[in-house]
Amino acid sequence: MTTATATAVLDAQGLTKTFDGHPVLQGLDLKVRDGEFIAVMGPSGSGKSTLLYNISGMDTMTGGNVQFAGQDLGSLSQKQLARLRLTTMGFIFQHVYLLKNLCLLDNIVLPAYLAGLAPRAELTQRAMALMERTGVADLADRDVTEASGGQLQRIGICRALINEPQILFGDEPTGALDSTAATEIMDILGELNAEGTTIMLVTHDTKVAARTSRVIYLVDGRIVGDRQHGPYTGTGLDQRHHELTEWLLHHGL
Amino acid sequence: MNLSPRARSVARHGEGGVDEPGGDQHPAVGADGQVLRRGQPAGRWRMYGRMAARDFSRNRGVTAALVVLMMLSVMLGTASAGTLVRLIGASSDLMEQADAPHVAQLHVGAFDQAEVDRWVAGRPEVVHHQTMLLLGIDGANLLFDGEPQTASIQQNSLVVPNTERDLLLDLDNRPITQVEPGGIVLPVYHQVEGDLEVGDTVRITAADGFAKDLTIAGFARDSIMNPAIASSKRLAVAPSDFEEVRARTGEVEQLVEFWLDDPATQTAGFKKAYQDAQLPQAGQMVDSNTFQILTMIGDGMVAAVVILVSMLLLVVGVLCLRFSFLTAVEQDYREIGVLKAIGVAPRDVRRIYLTKYALLAGIASGVGLLAGLAVIPLLTRNITRYMGTASGLANWIVPTLAAVLIFVVLVLFMLVLLRRFNRISAVTALRAGATSQPRATRLRLHRSRMPVHLRLGTMDVVGRWPIYLLLFFVFAVSTFIMIVPVNSATTATAPGFINYMGIGAVDVRVDLRHDDATSPEQFERAVEQLGSEPDVTAISPMVTTRHDTLDRDGIAASLYVENGDHTLLPLTYADGRAPTDSSEIALSLLALHQSGRSLGDTVPITVGGQVNALTIVGSYQDITHGGSTAKSVLPTDGEETMWYVIGVQLAGGTDATATAQTYGAQLAPARVSAIEQWRDQTLGPIADQLTIAAGVDAVVAIALAVLMTALFARMLLARDAGPIAIQRAIGADDTGLRQQYLTRILLVLVLGVTVGTVMANTLGELLFNLMFEAMFGGFEMLFQGTSQIAFAVNPLLASLLLPLALLGAVAAATVASSRSIAAASISSLTTE
Ligand SMILES: Nc1ncnc2c1ncn2[C@@H]1O[C@H](COP(=O)(O)OP(=O)(O)OP(=O)(O)O)[C@@H](O)[C@H]1O
Ligand SMILES: [Mg+2]
Repeated sequence: MTTATATAVLDAQGLTKTFDGHPVLQGLDLKVRDGEFIAVMGPSGSGKSTLLYNISGMDTMTGGNVQFAGQDLGSLSQKQLARLRLTTMGFIFQHVYLLKNLCLLDNIVLPAYLAGLAPRAELTQRAMALMERTGVADLADRDVTEASGGQLQRIGICRALINEPQILFGDEPTGALDSTAATEIMDILGELNAEGTTIMLVTHDTKVAARTSRVIYLVDGRIVGDRQHGPYTGTGLDQRHHELTEWLLHHGL
Repeated sequence: MNLSPRARSVARHGEGGVDEPGGDQHPAVGADGQVLRRGQPAGRWRMYGRMAARDFSRNRGVTAALVVLMMLSVMLGTASAGTLVRLIGASSDLMEQADAPHVAQLHVGAFDQAEVDRWVAGRPEVVHHQTMLLLGIDGANLLFDGEPQTASIQQNSLVVPNTERDLLLDLDNRPITQVEPGGIVLPVYHQVEGDLEVGDTVRITAADGFAKDLTIAGFARDSIMNPAIASSKRLAVAPSDFEEVRARTGEVEQLVEFWLDDPATQTAGFKKAYQDAQLPQAGQMVDSNTFQILTMIGDGMVAAVVILVSMLLLVVGVLCLRFSFLTAVEQDYREIGVLKAIGVAPRDVRRIYLTKYALLAGIASGVGLLAGLAVIPLLTRNITRYMGTASGLANWIVPTLAAVLIFVVLVLFMLVLLRRFNRISAVTALRAGATSQPRATRLRLHRSRMPVHLRLGTMDVVGRWPIYLLLFFVFAVSTFIMIVPVNSATTATAPGFINYMGIGAVDVRVDLRHDDATSPEQFERAVEQLGSEPDVTAISPMVTTRHDTLDRDGIAASLYVENGDHTLLPLTYADGRAPTDSSEIALSLLALHQSGRSLGDTVPITVGGQVNALTIVGSYQDITHGGSTAKSVLPTDGEETMWYVIGVQLAGGTDATATAQTYGAQLAPARVSAIEQWRDQTLGPIADQLTIAAGVDAVVAIALAVLMTALFARMLLARDAGPIAIQRAIGADDTGLRQQYLTRILLVLVLGVTVGTVMANTLGELLFNLMFEAMFGGFEMLFQGTSQIAFAVNPLLASLLLPLALLGAVAAATVASSRSIAAASISSLTTE
C-alpha cells in the first residue's frame, strides 16, 4: 500500500549518466517509496537499464545524487557499495546471468555465503525454502544447462531474494519467457510485494506493467510519464490493462 | 538465454535477412552472411579476413602470448639446428684440413720405430703412419706470462709441427708447418683460458736453473687435442728450441699415428690387432671418433639443451594454441552455429580459423627464423674460435628447414583442433551455447566449510582443469629444469661422489706411474713412509695391472685391474662385495656390461700368459679410465703393472691440502693430491659446466614461469570477464574476486611445483645417469644401467628453497596481474 506518508527508500535527484559524452540519463528525479511496485517502461535505448544500474550503485553515475536508505551512494567506496548491494538489494536480469560452474542451488546460496549474515546451514535451508516456494525445489543439484528459461529465471529470483533485500530490481525478467511462464513469475513478484518488498521492474509488456502499483515512462533518459494506479489485488486485470494502454496512448507514448 | 548482440544480429540476418548495418555492432558476419549466400569468392575471403582481424583485436592478450611463444620456439629451434650443423661442419672441416690421424697411440718409455714399421708392412689397410715426439713439460716448469701452470689440468707438450699430415692450423685454418726459433705457437685453449696474446712470453725452466724464453708467435687449432676436455695440449716450437729444452727437462712421449684406407670399417679391427701385437702401448689409444666426440661434447651439450628448451616451448606453444582456440570457439560458438544454419559448409568455417592461426604461425615463424639466425653467431662463438667456420649452404638451409618444420607442426595441430568444428551442430550451438564453458563439478559450494572465495577458486580449477593444464605444465617444467641441474651439480661436487670414481673414502691420493724397474721400489718406500706417519689413520696401497679378457662378443679386450687389500678403506659396491683373493674379481658397471656376464659368473683374465677364470663377486660404479675397470688381488710383479695408487685416510682435523703438499715434496716423482683437488681435476670441466648450467637454468625457469603466469593471467581475465561481472553484480567485491583468482593460480602452482619437484628428484636422476652413460659408453650404452649414481640432493635447496623461490616469484606475478581484475564490470555483460 503506497501512501504519501511512506518513507522514500530510494531518492534520486538530478541523476545524469553519459557514455563517451553521449547523455543517456539527463537530470532524472525519482523517489521510490517503501513497498512500491514500480514498472519502468520506455522505448529501447531510452536508458531503462542504465537507470537501474545507476540507482543500485552497480555503475557509477556521472552527476546528481542517489540516497538509498538514508545513505548517499556517491560517498561510498567500491567495497561499501558492494556490501550494500549484497545485503539490501536484489537483482534479477533478463538473461539471468547464472554462474555456469555452479549448480543451481549453489548459485542461490552464493550471495548469502558472501554476505555471511547467518550460519551456512541456515542459509542453505533458506535457499531450499525459496526454491520450494518458486516451484523449482527439485532442480537444486542440476547444472545451469539442465533447466528451461522459465526455471532459470525462478532461480534468478531466488538468488535475488536470498539475503532478504529491502528492494528488488528486475531488468525485463520476463522478456525472454512465454506468457504462461511470465504470468507465473509476476505472481511470485506480486506476492513478494504484498509481503512488503519494494520492487522496481523494467518491462516492455503492458500486461506486466498492469500488475504493478506505479508506472514510470522514460524517453531519452527523462521521465515523461508517472502513473500511480494502486496495487493489483488479483482481480480486474483486464480493466487495469485497458486503462494503462489508454493512458499511454493519451500521452502519446 | 545469454544471446550476445553479435549473435542476435547474425540470427536476424540468417532468419529474416533484415539488413541493419548501422545498428549492428559487429557488421562483419552479418553483412558477409549475405555475401556468402551470393557466393562471391572475393567477398568470402574478405569476410574471413575481417573475422580474423576482429578476433585479433578481441583477444589481444591471448594472441600476443601465442605469437611470442611460437616465435621463441621457432627461434630456439632454428638457432639450435644452426648451431649443430655448424658444429658438425666445422669439426669435420677441421679434421679434414688438418688431416687428423684415424688411430693414435700414446707411448711412454722405450720405443723402437723399426718394430712398428715391420708390423705395419704386414697391414695392407694402413695408408700411412708416422711417429711424433711429444716433450711433456711439468706445470711447475712452464710459465705463461710469468704464471706457472701448476694448477692447470692440462698436460702441455712441446712438439715440432708436422708438415704433411696431422697439421696444426692457424686461425684462418692454414697449416702451420714451421715455427721460427725463439717463437712458440700455443693452442687456442690457452689463448681463451689464459687470456694470452701474440707477443706474450712463455718461459720453460728446469731444476738446474735453466730458463728458456719463447715469444708467442700465434695460436693454433689442433684437430685432435683441441677441446678443453682433452687434457693434452701441443705447443709448437722450432726444432732447435725443441732439442735445447729436451736436453734439460721434460719427458718424451711418442704419439704413433695411423691413417687407414677405410677408417669406418677398419678402425676397430686395426686397434685390436695393434694391441695384440705387443707393440708400444704404454698410454692411451684413441681414434678419430674419440677426437670428434671430445671436440663436440661441450658445444654439443649446449646445442642439446637449446633443442630441449625449444621443444618444451613448442609444447607450451601448442598448449597455448589450444587454449586460445578453445577461447575463440567459445566466443564464436553461436556464430559458428549460425553460419552452419544458413548453409555454410564446415570447410569454409574452418577456413576462417585456419586463416587466422596460420597467419599468426606464419608471422611468428618468419620473425623467429630471422631472430634465430641472428642468435646463431652468439651460440657458435666458441665453435668458431676453436674450429673455425665451415662455409656451406647447409648452414642456412638446415635452420630454415627447422623453422619450416615447426611451422608445419603448428599448422597440423591446428587442423586437428579444427576438426572440432565438425562436431558443432547448428541447433545445439544456437540453443545451449556451451562447449568448453565451465561445467558444474561434483564439488558443491553449499556442502563446503571453506571460505567462499577459496572454494570458488578450487571449484573453478577442478571444473575446467583442461584450461589450467597449460599453466600446470609450465610450472612443472620450470621446476624440473630448475632442480635437475642443481641436483646434478650438487651430486658431482658432493664429497661422496668419489665413491663413483672407483675409490673409497680417502682424504689424500698418491699416484705413481710405473716407468721402469725403480718404480716398485718408489712405491714400497711411499707405502712404508705413509704407514708410519702419525697423521695417517689408514692407507690402501693398490697396484693397477693391465690384462686381456674377452668381451660379450668373445672379442679380446684389455682391462685395468686394481690389486691390493680391498677391505681397507673400501668403496661402496653397487652389488656384491670386494674380491679377497686371486680367484675373485669385481667389475665396474660398464666393464660388467661389456663382459656380458653377471655376478657369480666367471670371466677369463690372462695373467702372466695364462688364462684364469675369475669369479665376479661384486660390481661398483666407476667413471674414471673410461668407466671400465676391475678390482682383484692378482700378482703384481709381472710386466702387466701400469701404475700405483695409495689411498690415504688422515686423522680428523688434518688439513688434506697442506698434507698433500708436504707428502708431494717428499714422495716425488709420485703425485700427491687432496681428494677434493683430484676430483675437481678429473671431473674438471664437467662439474664446472654443471654448476654454471644450474645457475642459468634456475633463472630461465623462473623467468619462463613468471612470463607465462602474466600472459595466462591476462588470458584468464579476458576469458572470465562474464562470470566476474556477474559476481560483481550480485555484490562480490574486488578483494574477494582477487582471492578467487589467486586461489586458482596458486593451487595450480603448488600442484605443478610439487609434481615438478618429485619428477626432478626421480626422473632427473635417471637423466643424470643417462648423461654419464652416453659420455663414457657412447649412445649404445644408454639405458644399460652402466651408471647408477644416486643423486646427492641438498634437500633444503632442492625440495624447499628452489620451489619456494619459484613459488614466490609466480605469486608476486599473480598478485601484480590480479590488479586488472577491476577492469571487468557489468558493462562487459551488456555490451558482449
Ligand atoms: N556500456 C555502455 N557504453 C556505451 N553506451 C552504452 C552503454 N550502456 C548503454 N549504452 C547506451 O545507453 C543508451 C541506453 O541504454 P540502455 O541499455 O539503458 O537502454 P534500455 O532502455 O535498457 O534499452 P532496451 O529496452 O533495449 O534494453 C543506449 O543508447 C545504449 O547504446
Ligand atoms: Mg535494457
